[in-house]
Amino acid sequence: MQVHLPIAEISISAELIFLVSAFVGFLSGIFGVGGGFLTTPFLIFIGISPGVAVGTQASQLVASSVSGAIGHWRRNNVDIRMGLVMLIGGVLGSFVGIVIFKLLQMIGQIDFVISILYVFLLGSIGFMMLMETFLSKVFKKRSFSGEFNTLKVSPFMHSLPYKMRFPRSKLFISALVPASIGFVGGILTSIMGIGGGFLIVPAMIYILGMSTLLVAGTSLFQIIFTTASAVIMHAVFNNTVDMVLGVILISGSVIGAQIGISVARFVTPAQARLIMAAMVLLVAFKLAFDLFLEPSELFSTVVIDD
Amino acid sequence: MIRLLFGLLFIVFLNPAIASAQNLMVDLAQDSIDITAGFDGAQLSLFGVKEKDGQVAVVIRGPKKDMVVHKKNAVMGAWMNSESVRYKDVPEFYDFALSDDEDNILNAELRQKLGIGFDALKFVHDNARLSTNAQKEYRQALIRNRQAEKLFPVVPKDIVFLNNNFFKTEFFMPSNVPVGDYVIETFLINDMTVIDKHETRVKVAQIGFSAGVYNFAHSQSLAYAIIIILIAVGAGWLSNAVRRNNK
Repeated sequence: MQVHLPIAEISISAELIFLVSAFVGFLSGIFGVGGGFLTTPFLIFIGISPGVAVGTQASQLVASSVSGAIGHWRRNNVDIRMGLVMLIGGVLGSFVGIVIFKLLQMIGQIDFVISILYVFLLGSIGFMMLMETFLSKVFKKRSFSGEFNTLKVSPFMHSLPYKMRFPRSKLFISALVPASIGFVGGILTSIMGIGGGFLIVPAMIYILGMSTLLVAGTSLFQIIFTTASAVIMHAVFNNTVDMVLGVILISGSVIGAQIGISVARFVTPAQARLIMAAMVLLVAFKLAFDLFLEPSELFSTVVIDD
Repeated sequence: MIRLLFGLLFIVFLNPAIASAQNLMVDLAQDSIDITAGFDGAQLSLFGVKEKDGQVAVVIRGPKKDMVVHKKNAVMGAWMNSESVRYKDVPEFYDFALSDDEDNILNAELRQKLGIGFDALKFVHDNARLSTNAQKEYRQALIRNRQAEKLFPVVPKDIVFLNNNFFKTEFFMPSNVPVGDYVIETFLINDMTVIDKHETRVKVAQIGFSAGVYNFAHSQSLAYAIIIILIAVGAGWLSNAVRRNNK
């Protein structure tokens, strides 16, 4: 069924979008990721403008982070104080991200920057996940990540101002550190249409030194607000949030996630990490190829709306 | 459609007095293209009657906008937009139909005058230092890009004659057709001169649900965003509730 998207101003196949978002939801149900890194490039690939793709995908991320955060909230695994500090940074970051997005759009470089960011971020994260999987096999260690756990005791971290106590996480650190992590996440949400969990989660573990138990819930809690503010900013400043596309994406991912969660119990964490790494690298390679192979059409035309 | 046909037949066969007053009469099957939630492109049909010998040409133009053509170059191996040319007042949609081979109806002078065919379209750009070759390259790229979006024609459309005087043509408006006012000019041409011409307009607009969403998003963008967020939060909560019940 062809559906005309009122904001994107093109017709798309509703089934196709629904199936893809259900598939991504399925993966996020298994692996506990938002899936923005798969959906946003896909939307751009089928001809939806980067602005609408990123702005609308952010609304799907609100749904998936709410769904994930509720579970952690009920088990009391959210450090609210930490989450609030992070989301202040996150909301600010999403605003800065929109400004950067608009500037890049004006100079005609938004597609390029989105692609290069995806290649760089997904490439390095996929590689790290793969390394971790193999190294843990070789050294019979569960993870070698503990070795990075030194930043929180570095003199630099202790010299930063605005120190705050986070009783839930048993930390006494500068509020600037979690706020900056949120800030970077917010920028990425606004530019790339991703929740940024894959960056925020390791940062919280290795830089803040939070316990893994609290990290998942707290990051999801703050991603709700960061993605929601990205939706508001994209809608207010760019008019690039498509309600019809958003509803299809949300319903697809919610249904897909339900199936994914019931499948998840058959997948071990090591398998999950390996499959995730493969998927992340696949997307990174696809985007890298598009970037480095000579395109068949060198020219592109953009209509200027005044 | 039927009503229109009857109307035209009435004019042609039963009312010579009125018909002789004009050499060319044209009407559209609809005066608006409505973009609804299920819109997947539409045919725009034009009917006309000519009272004198000659060939017919029809041109349709969408609203004019500035367009920027970007060219990609390899920068350290990566292909990125590195040069661009901005064109002023390019029609967002352009198409034309002819009742005979182009060369039988139009000469170069007439083409220019009526704006029929790409050779007759003057795309004015802002870059004074552009070489002749580059100008040609960008111009062709602009046309090619718009053709790929189905908003510029690849070949002229046909005009079909149902009898000697009564003709019909169709333009396809694809699903990405830009909204706005479209101008349709019809020319009756004999021996490379225009005997008569007719101008009509068609409005392309979102209506119903699509229009509601579009207007809401533009006039009350904050409320619009909050509603989407509420839908998302609701869906996320529902998803979690279902999961808990299944445990």
